[in-house]
Amino acid sequence: MLDRIVKAYNEAVFETDKEAAFDVVYAALADGMRAEDIVFKVVIPAIEEMMSNITKDPDANLAQHFMTAQIAAAVTEKMLEKFEHPPEIIGRVVIGTAQGDLHSLGKRIVMGCLKALMVEVTDLGVNVAAEKFVEEALACDAQIIAVSAMMVHTASGEMGARKVRQILHERGLEQRIKLVVGGAPYRFDNELYKTVGADGWAADGINAGRVIVNLIKEVKAT
Amino acid sequence: MTPLEILGAAISGAPAPRIPVFCNLFEHGARELGMPQKTYYASGEHVAAGQLRMRARYGYDNVWSLFYVGREAELLGCQEILYSEDGPPNVADFVIKDYDDIAKLEVPDDLTAHPAWKETATCLRILREEVGATHPICAYLTASTTLPALLMGMDKWMELLLTGPADLRDELLRKCSLFYQREVAAYRAAGANVLLYSTPFGSTSFVGMKRFNAFSLPWMKRDLEPGGSANLVYYCGMAPFNNVIAQVREELGIGAHYISPMADLAEAKSIIGSEGLTCGVIDDIRLIQWTPQETRAEVRRLCEIGMVGGHFLFGTGVMPLGVPEANLRAMLAAAFEFGRYP
Repeated sequence: MLDRIVKAYNEAVFETDKEAAFDVVYAALADGMRAEDIVFKVVIPAIEEMMSNITKDPDANLAQHFMTAQIAAAVTEKMLEKFEHPPEIIGRVVIGTAQGDLHSLGKRIVMGCLKALMVEVTDLGVNVAAEKFVEEALACDAQIIAVSAMMVHTASGEMGARKVRQILHERGLEQRIKLVVGGAPYRFDNELYKTVGADGWAADGINAGRVIVNLIKEVKAT
Repeated sequence: MTPLEILGAAISGAPAPRIPVFCNLFEHGARELGMPQKTYYASGEHVAAGQLRMRARYGYDNVWSLFYVGREAELLGCQEILYSEDGPPNVADFVIKDYDDIAKLEVPDDLTAHPAWKETATCLRILREEVGATHPICAYLTASTTLPALLMGMDKWMELLLTGPADLRDELLRKCSLFYQREVAAYRAAGANVLLYSTPFGSTSFVGMKRFNAFSLPWMKRDLEPGGSANLVYYCGMAPFNNVIAQVREELGIGAHYISPMADLAEAKSIIGSEGLTCGVIDDIRLIQWTPQETRAEVRRLCEIGMVGGHFLFGTGVMPLGVPEANLRAMLAAAFEFGRYP
């Protein structure tokens, strides 16, 4: 039964069909599947499959990334209401776009993905000052600051991730809080994330989930 | 030959001494004139002066009538632009804040009567008078499928496109397509003769092939139906689109393609061949970090791939302000050197 549900859910996600994905989920619930199993055995594996497909599938695209994240977040939210016990949160992230940057699509994909992966996300919005990223990360006890930037000057300039890194360094927070970046400029220059002092980056919003989860584990292990 | 004639030769395949060399330096003009961007972009005279000075200094072939991409949103009611001294201006006020605003969106009957067009018209008039007889004048036009991103934000547009009410989505697209049709007519009448058709949703990096065929292609056809595809350049916002070049040529009649630096230029060239113009575009984000030697080598590589059989143009992408002067000069020197035909 599980294989059939996973296959039907993955097909709905691949076709960016939110309604069909929910139909699969509610049919599974009606058949007696637990909400916990839907999240951990259907939704999260679907995200993981999308992560691996992005690099292999020439037709993988932004619309799929967006809908994978939105469907996963929406299904998870609904299923959480039905969990017998609250799930364990694996870590916390504060996310926003760099100062001067108003592009919120990438951030939204990452957030949807993280919510389904049981990461608590605080959305700081757009055009966020470096100081605010650090203050909010401390206030939330976050392991990760995620800075999204779609323009070259916001991705590489002094007021974005570079300044977050500088503040983390000056305040001795570099072991406690890791810095992750994402956005188009980092795809055109794969070394740019190092130049701005980030600990990690991802080429797309879905794989950002994996990078962030790995860095949370790294912080927690130290 | 003049740069305009060289461009014509590259398109037709006629003999020419070299390839056309295109560049886009926008915010550089404000820096050159020593004024804040907000002041610079408030005047068509400033923008024209900036364009003419940049072209004269570096010697590339074209000038731009584009102020910034958000200009189109201003023509549709955007009231606030976020300026930066380090990069391009951004739309800070979305015209469509909720779905009810779609019904209220009005496409001006006569764009040229709109106050936001006045400065663009002034810029175009000066460019036409100064270099119009000898140099290509470029304009930037956003396709109907992408314009909503400027009006409501990309994530809200994706949401409407993929999960929203179809009637509202189509109403917005009809208005955006009508805007494009009127805008392209206005640009043509004002003397722009290289029209960059910006259509990121015309790349399967944005939507899959199924949606490209069912959604993007029909709306692009609608955009182009009244005005035709003359002088248009297909551009997907730096996203690759090699896999749809043949369809774009056959179904939209667009012959010039601005190839993503992330795409395989040799593959694009083999698809386009002598049927159209292949524009080889340098990854100008990496240009920030490269040495002049690395820059030169990359330009040489692009020219060697693209010039076989002619029908080739060298171009740039976003040209960030952070590109060092030495690399900018190395890039253009290499384009003129390796872009010579024997």
